[in-house]
Amino acid sequence: MKRWRCPRANKLGIYAVAFFAFLHLPLLTLAIFSFNSSRFTVWNHFSLVWYRAIFSDPQLLEGAWNSTVIALISTALSTLIGTLCAYALWKRGSRLVTGALYLSLVTPEIVTGISLLALFQWSFRWLGLQLGMYTVILAHVAFSLAYVVIVVSARLRTVSPALEEAAMDLGATEWEAFVHVMLPALVPGIVAAALLALTVSFDDYVITSMVAGVDSQTLPMVFYAMARRGASPVINAISALITAFFGVLIVVSERISSRDPAGDLLRQ
Amino acid sequence: MKLRSWFLVPAWFWLAALFAAPFAIILSYSFLSRGVYGGIELPWTWESYTRLFDPLYLGIFLHSAILAAGATLLCLLLAFPAALFISRTRRHKYLYLQLVMLPFWTSFLVRTYAWLFLLRDTGLINTALQAVGITHSPLPLLYNNGAVLLGLVYGYLPFMVLPIYATLERLDPTLLEAAADLGARPWAALFRVVVPLSRPGIAAGCILVFIPCLGAYLTPDLLGGGRIVLVGNLVQNQFTTSRDWPFGSAVSLVLMALVTLALWRYLRRQGEILV
Amino acid sequence: MNRRTFLLGAPGLAACGSARRPRLNVYNWSAYVAPDTIPSFEAEFGVRVRYATYESNEEMLAKVLTGNSGWDVVVPTHNRLEPMSAYGLLAPLRHDWLPHLANLAPQFQAPAWDPQLRWGVPYMWSATGIVYNRSIMPPLTRWADLWDVRLKGRLTMLDDPEDMLGACLKKLGLPFNTTSPQDLRRAEHEALVQKPLLRAYLNAEVRDQLVAGDVLAAQLWSTTAQQAIDSAAQLAFAYPAEGFPLYCDCAVVLRESRRQRLAHQFLDYLLRAPVSAAVAQYTSTATANGAAQSLLPATVRDNPTLYPPPQIIRRGEWPRTNPPAVQRLIDRIWTEIKAASV
Repeated sequence: MKRWRCPRANKLGIYAVAFFAFLHLPLLTLAIFSFNSSRFTVWNHFSLVWYRAIFSDPQLLEGAWNSTVIALISTALSTLIGTLCAYALWKRGSRLVTGALYLSLVTPEIVTGISLLALFQWSFRWLGLQLGMYTVILAHVAFSLAYVVIVVSARLRTVSPALEEAAMDLGATEWEAFVHVMLPALVPGIVAAALLALTVSFDDYVITSMVAGVDSQTLPMVFYAMARRGASPVINAISALITAFFGVLIVVSERISSRDPAGDLLRQ
Repeated sequence: MKLRSWFLVPAWFWLAALFAAPFAIILSYSFLSRGVYGGIELPWTWESYTRLFDPLYLGIFLHSAILAAGATLLCLLLAFPAALFISRTRRHKYLYLQLVMLPFWTSFLVRTYAWLFLLRDTGLINTALQAVGITHSPLPLLYNNGAVLLGLVYGYLPFMVLPIYATLERLDPTLLEAAADLGARPWAALFRVVVPLSRPGIAAGCILVFIPCLGAYLTPDLLGGGRIVLVGNLVQNQFTTSRDWPFGSAVSLVLMALVTLALWRYLRRQGEILV
Repeated sequence: MNRRTFLLGAPGLAACGSARRPRLNVYNWSAYVAPDTIPSFEAEFGVRVRYATYESNEEMLAKVLTGNSGWDVVVPTHNRLEPMSAYGLLAPLRHDWLPHLANLAPQFQAPAWDPQLRWGVPYMWSATGIVYNRSIMPPLTRWADLWDVRLKGRLTMLDDPEDMLGACLKKLGLPFNTTSPQDLRRAEHEALVQKPLLRAYLNAEVRDQLVAGDVLAAQLWSTTAQQAIDSAAQLAFAYPAEGFPLYCDCAVVLRESRRQRLAHQFLDYLLRAPVSAAVAQYTSTATANGAAQSLLPATVRDNPTLYPPPQIIRRGEWPRTNPPAVQRLIDRIWTEIKAASV
C-alpha cells in the first residue's frame, strides 16, 4: 500500500515557519522593546525602567488585583455550574438550555455587554445597588459558562455510561456515583474548562467595561485607557508580562492535565 | 433523574437571569423612544427599526460583513496549511498546538496593540524599511481598512487553526491511502479528499472567526483611527456619544438576528451533537 | 464577613490595609491632578480616595447616567451641566461648604452656563485650536488651513462630533451653536471634503504622534497641545482666526453620592490656591482659579497657549447644550462622516 504523502512536505514546513513567525513576531518584538530605555522604536540600551513604572502605578496594580479576583471567582462559579450542567445534559439533553448556551456563544460581545448593562441598571434601580465587582463577576459567569459546558461535554463523550451504571449496580447512590466515579474521570476536562474560563475572564474588555463600577477597573480597562492615550513603552512592558504570565500558566496546566485544552474545546 | 434536575438548577438560573432577562430588556428598549438627554422614554414605537432601513446603516452593515468575510477567508487560507502541517507531524505536535494557542491566551487587546506598535509611522516596520533604504518616507500603514483587516486576522487566526486541526487529526488515514492507491496525485488527494472531509472543521472555524469579526469594535477603534465605522462601533456609539439606547438596542438585535439566522442550521446540528 | 462585603472590600484592603476610613470616589479626566493632590487630601482629611480617569464626557456620562454608578465627584464639561441637572444627576452645591469659591477668577464667578454656580465649580478650562509643526510654512492660523492638500496623510481632527463639526462651521463663518439644519449640512459637506486628507480622527492619542513627527497638524485641545509642546519644541499652537470653542470642566457632586459633605470638602480643597496652582503647573492646564493663577511662575502665567490674551479670548465661544433634535441630526451627520469611504 502506498503511503499518502502530503504535497510538498518541505514547502509545508517552510510555510509553517512563516506562519509561526507571523503569529509570534509581533508579540516578541513588543516584549523586546519593553526593555528599551528609549520611548521610541530605536534601540537605545537595555533598561527595566518601564517595568519599574508598572509597579509604581497604583491604577495598574489595582487593575491587576481586580482582574485576578474577578477571574478566580467567576471561573470557580462558571466551572461549578458548567460542570453540573454538562453532566445533566449528558444524562438527558435539554434543547432549551443547549440552544441558549450556543446562542450566548455566538452573540457578539458588544451585544452581550449592553444587554447585561441594561439588566443591571434596570434591576438595580429598584434595589438601589451599585455596579461593582459582583456585576462584573456575574457578567463573566454569563459569557464563560458556554465554554465550560462545551469543554466538559467533550470530555463526557469519551466516558462510557456503563461506568456509572456499574457503580450504581454495586450499590452506590446516584450522588456517590457522580462524586466517586464521574468526577475523577472528568478532571482533565474540568481543568481545561477552568483554564479557558480563566483566560476569557482575564482577557475580556468589551463586556467588562460596560458593567464595571467604581471599584472594579480591570487590567484590560486600564490597558485600553493607556493605549487610547497613545503608545507607551509601559504598555509594551505590561504586554510582555501578560504574555509571560499566560505562557507559564500553559506550561503548568500542561503538567496538571497532560492533555491539550485546545483539543477539548474544539473536538466538537 | 432527581440529581440531574438539581444539577440543572444553576443553569436554569443562568438562562433566566443572565440570558433571557437581558435579552427581554434590550427587546423592550428597542421599541421605546429616546429620552431628551438619553435614556429611554415612552411611547412605544417601531421607529428604531424603520430608521435602520437607511442606506447609511445598511452600508455600515455591508462594510462590516465584507470585512468580516475577508478576515474569515484570509484566516482560512492561512490556517489550513498550518493545521495540515501540525496534523501531519509526528513529533512535537502538542508543542506546535501550544504555539498556536499562546497568542490566543494572551490578551486580545495586547494582540491588537502589537500591530499599533508595528504599523505606526515611527513603528518598527517603517523604521526598518527606511533604515534599509527601501522607502524614504513612512508608508501609511495604520488607520485604514487594511490595518483593521490585519488586526482581525491576527486576532482570530487561532480560532481557525484549531477546529481544522481537530478534524484533520481525526481523518482516517486509510482513506488517503485508498486515494493514493487509486492513483490520485497528492494535490488531487488534498483537494478531492482532505478538504471535503475537513469541512466540519472549516465550517466551525469560519463561524468562530466570522461572528466576532462581524461584531468587532476594539480593532476598528484602535487600528481604524475613527475613520472606519463597523456595526460594533455603531452600537457602541449609540450607547455612549449619541445616547440613543432604543436605536442601539435595535441595531444589536438585528445584528444578533442576522448571526442566528446565518447559523440556524449549523446551530441545530451542533445542538444535537452536544446533547 | 459575607461574600459580598468581601468582594467589595478586598481590593481596598489589598491597596491600603484599611477599609474603615470613609472613601470618596472621584472620576476625573486623565492627567488632571498633580501626583500629590490626592495623597495630600487623603492625609489631611483621613479618608481614602478612589480615583479613576476617563477620556471623554460620554465615557463618564455612560456610567453616571444610571444614577447608581457609585461615583461621588465627576468633572463634566460646562455644557453637560444642563442636561445632567435636568436628568436629576447633580446635587446642588452648598456654598456654605465651599469657603474657597471666592478664589475663582472673575469670569468664572458667574459664568453664562451656571450664573449662580448652582451645579459645578469651574476647575480647568481650555480651547480647541490647531497644533502644528513649525516646519510648515507659512504657519497655520485658520481652520481653513486644515483643508490644505499639502497636509494629506499628516493631519488629524478630533474624534468628537462637536469639535469636528464646530471647526467646519467656523470655517464657513457660521456660529458654533447653530441650530439650523442647513448650516449643519454645509458643515458636513466640508468634513467630507476634508476626510481624504485625514490620517485619522484622534483625541489625546495624537500627542505622541505629534511629538514623534508622524503628524504635522492636528485639531487639538489647548491643554493637550501644551503637553505636546512641552516635549517637542518644534510644535506650536494657533487659536484659529475664524473663532474657536472654549470649554470649562466643572467639578460636580452627584446626587447619588452618600458623602455629600466629604465631596464638598474635596471640591473646596481643589479650590485652594496652592492646590490648584500645583495641578495647573504639573499638568500644563489653565486653571479657572484666579488666586492660583497669581501663584504660578510668570513663564506659565504668560504662556500664550494656556492663557491667551483677551483679544484672542474674545474670538472664543462657549458652546451651549444642543436641543435634542439638533443633537440627533449631529449624531447622524457624524455617523455619515465617519462611515463615508474615501
